[in-house]
Amino acid sequence: MTEKKMIPPNTLLAFGVVGGLLGVYLAYFLAPMNPIFVFFGALGAVCASVWGADVVRRVASYGLGTGVPSIGMLALGMGIIAVLFGLSLGLGPAGPLVAFITSCVIGAIIGIISKKVVGMTIPIMVSATTEIAGAGALLILGLSIVIAGSLDFGVVVTEVITTGFIMMIYIAGGMAMLHPHNSNLGPDETQDRLLALSAEKAGIAVVLSGFASVAGMGAMAVTMLIGLFIWYTFWGKYYGFVKRDAYKVIDVGMLPTEEEMQ
Amino acid sequence: MIDIVGLIASNLIWILAIVIGGTLISISVHFIPVGGAPAAMAQATGIGTGTVMLAAGAGIAGIIAAGAVMAVNQNIWVVIGAAAVGAAVMLAATMIVATWIYAYGVGVMPVSAKVKYDPITKYRQDLYVSQGTEGHGIPTVAYVSASIGGLLGGLGAGLAYYALMKVSTLPVTNLNLVAVVSTFTIGFFFINSVIPSYNIVGTIEGFHDPKFKKWPKAAIASFLASIPLGILAVVAVASLASVGGL
Amino acid sequence: MEPLISMGVLALIGAAATIAGASEDLESDVGSQSNANSQVQLAPQMGYVHRIYNKAIAGEPVSNALMCTIGATGALVLIKHFGFSPLFALVIGSLIAAMVHGSYSVTAIMGREASQARFKQPIYLDLIRSHTPVIMAFAFLTTFSVMIVSYLMVYSLMHPFPFVLLCFLWGVVVGSVGSATGDVHLGAERQFQATEFGAGLNASQSGNIVRKAESGLRNGIDNLWFCSKFGGPMTGVSFGMVVFLGTWILVVFDPAEGNLEGWLSNILGLVIVIVLGIWNWHIEKETREKYGPYKEDKGEEVSA
Repeated sequence: MTEKKMIPPNTLLAFGVVGGLLGVYLAYFLAPMNPIFVFFGALGAVCASVWGADVVRRVASYGLGTGVPSIGMLALGMGIIAVLFGLSLGLGPAGPLVAFITSCVIGAIIGIISKKVVGMTIPIMVSATTEIAGAGALLILGLSIVIAGSLDFGVVVTEVITTGFIMMIYIAGGMAMLHPHNSNLGPDETQDRLLALSAEKAGIAVVLSGFASVAGMGAMAVTMLIGLFIWYTFWGKYYGFVKRDAYKVIDVGMLPTEEEMQ
Repeated sequence: MIDIVGLIASNLIWILAIVIGGTLISISVHFIPVGGAPAAMAQATGIGTGTVMLAAGAGIAGIIAAGAVMAVNQNIWVVIGAAAVGAAVMLAATMIVATWIYAYGVGVMPVSAKVKYDPITKYRQDLYVSQGTEGHGIPTVAYVSASIGGLLGGLGAGLAYYALMKVSTLPVTNLNLVAVVSTFTIGFFFINSVIPSYNIVGTIEGFHDPKFKKWPKAAIASFLASIPLGILAVVAVASLASVGGL
Repeated sequence: MEPLISMGVLALIGAAATIAGASEDLESDVGSQSNANSQVQLAPQMGYVHRIYNKAIAGEPVSNALMCTIGATGALVLIKHFGFSPLFALVIGSLIAAMVHGSYSVTAIMGREASQARFKQPIYLDLIRSHTPVIMAFAFLTTFSVMIVSYLMVYSLMHPFPFVLLCFLWGVVVGSVGSATGDVHLGAERQFQATEFGAGLNASQSGNIVRKAESGLRNGIDNLWFCSKFGGPMTGVSFGMVVFLGTWILVVFDPAEGNLEGWLSNILGLVIVIVLGIWNWHIEKETREKYGPYKEDKGEEVSA
């Protein structure tokens, strides 16, 4: 890591939780007035994805021994089960919060089991699985409300689950959390580059969710434009960071010579 | 507001079935010979993929088979048998082609470096391990171990799928029910194949590998983890019937 | 469905699956995504700077699941909301998936090589410009073929799963299969072609990948050319077998007709596993006899 100041984990946790819940609830309450407002859910999903990507970065640096994709699949798996449970209770506005908390609890349980029964020695294991399960749940909630237009259980089932779009949320959202660490793997990994990439990939997930939305042409167009804007901005940032961090970015060239390698 | 305790009480047997399914999945992962990145370079015995993803590939083939069969035939043994066989066929087809590539493309024979004699064919192993490697290819014991792993994993996944389908009063041909149950089963399967991978930590050659003795830890872990997951899944699926329009 | 029509659909699915398997493996060969990527990642650390496209998108099963699911999402939206014909929708869905995959590939190589700055690994933009379209083309083929498999399974063979879900599932399986079969050809053979044929990779050779080609420097497209002779088609055969055999046992003995049929189809599947096991054992025996041992049996001495 460079000497650059890194964003502390608690700041990102606050960003993810507050941003995610705020986005989901703004979309939840404003969407019945005008479906266009589902885009807040998309913004919440981006916040959750950035939070999750940093958790993956921190936990993978300890050496999971099994590969980074596994923890992402774990997180989203827990997220899906918890979200469906939370929404199925029919608690109205409390549903998303219950889903988020359930996901965190399940994450904590799996983390404790991994530590106590399986014997994993990563110090931050329990907090990591809790955080990443929570991030996964917020991601799913945010993108589901974009697609379905509301978080009513029946609507979510018919518009998100039966169509199969939940798997798109699962994998595109999961990848927004996993891919940054995997694609910046190396001793000179920097946090800001990684987080910029996570936001960019989340932007792609937002564009796809907007495309699949049934909340009307207005919501579809607005969300896709916001997604494209997020994607473009953070791609620019990412490329800037790459040029800053790389040894050399050249157009065409031979391998470095012996003298250059010293 | 739905009666959670009542739902759990009336579906206790299905929750138990889901938990058993999760435990079986966890145990099955230990049977599948995984060599990881070294195996892809003919440096270690086993299939050249990561633990989670190979188990997921096999289990998913099983879930697809279970879904196809359950839509037309609701006998529990036929359904979970189809899932088991689906997973085993996927692994078998993968392994035979991998063996072709090892034998004809790389020029090595299947051999294990963990045992001196193959427990099933009694062939001598150590003389046939190339210099600087930990074995390569898929010897017969690894193939048999993988088949058992595929059967168990498919069995577990099929059992979880069947149990969850039976929880709801909706007919099995209801597409909403199938979609919700299959989504749950996949999430459930991924969680129960990541937990044993944390136990295995890298590569394993099958039931003849010393690492195999660690399986009880993962089985207990999955058993405990599957209980809350099973309860959440059952509550969510059972409340589908009471939602209008599904 | 009438059994003969089912067999026809099944044959089409098998062919599409074969193409999907081949293009999946070739896509991972160009970008060195496979498990063999660990060596490409290791090479600069050992001082072997290279011009190979170092792409790793969280593993092939996940990466292929991503592209197939995105393709399916695009296609389904076009069919349902915009009323496109499935033919057009599948093509445009695949195009969307290829573009997203291209974005993931470019960010992967840039990120990885930027994180290897201390080993003096440069990022070659011409490499990115020449390889990424090839990667996108193979991603398009894989997505399209997997979508054909899923579409026919859902709408012809009446599989109850949602179309997008089935694409996700087959995406994971094709990635798993490709990772287990074709990548061995790249990793053990092409990447270390300088070592003598007929042995596994010696641990002391780690990182020493071939970086110089017949004329000039080796890149991903050179690797693609080699692996397309054997590894790619074999992966196609493998995935084709997985899809075809897995579904064939359900068509020959259709469980819809009764429990006996269900049991016969399960037994047929077991027979297939056993037959392939016998074939595996036969190859094991044959290679041991033909290639011979690497070491001599020095009595009681156990080889190191």
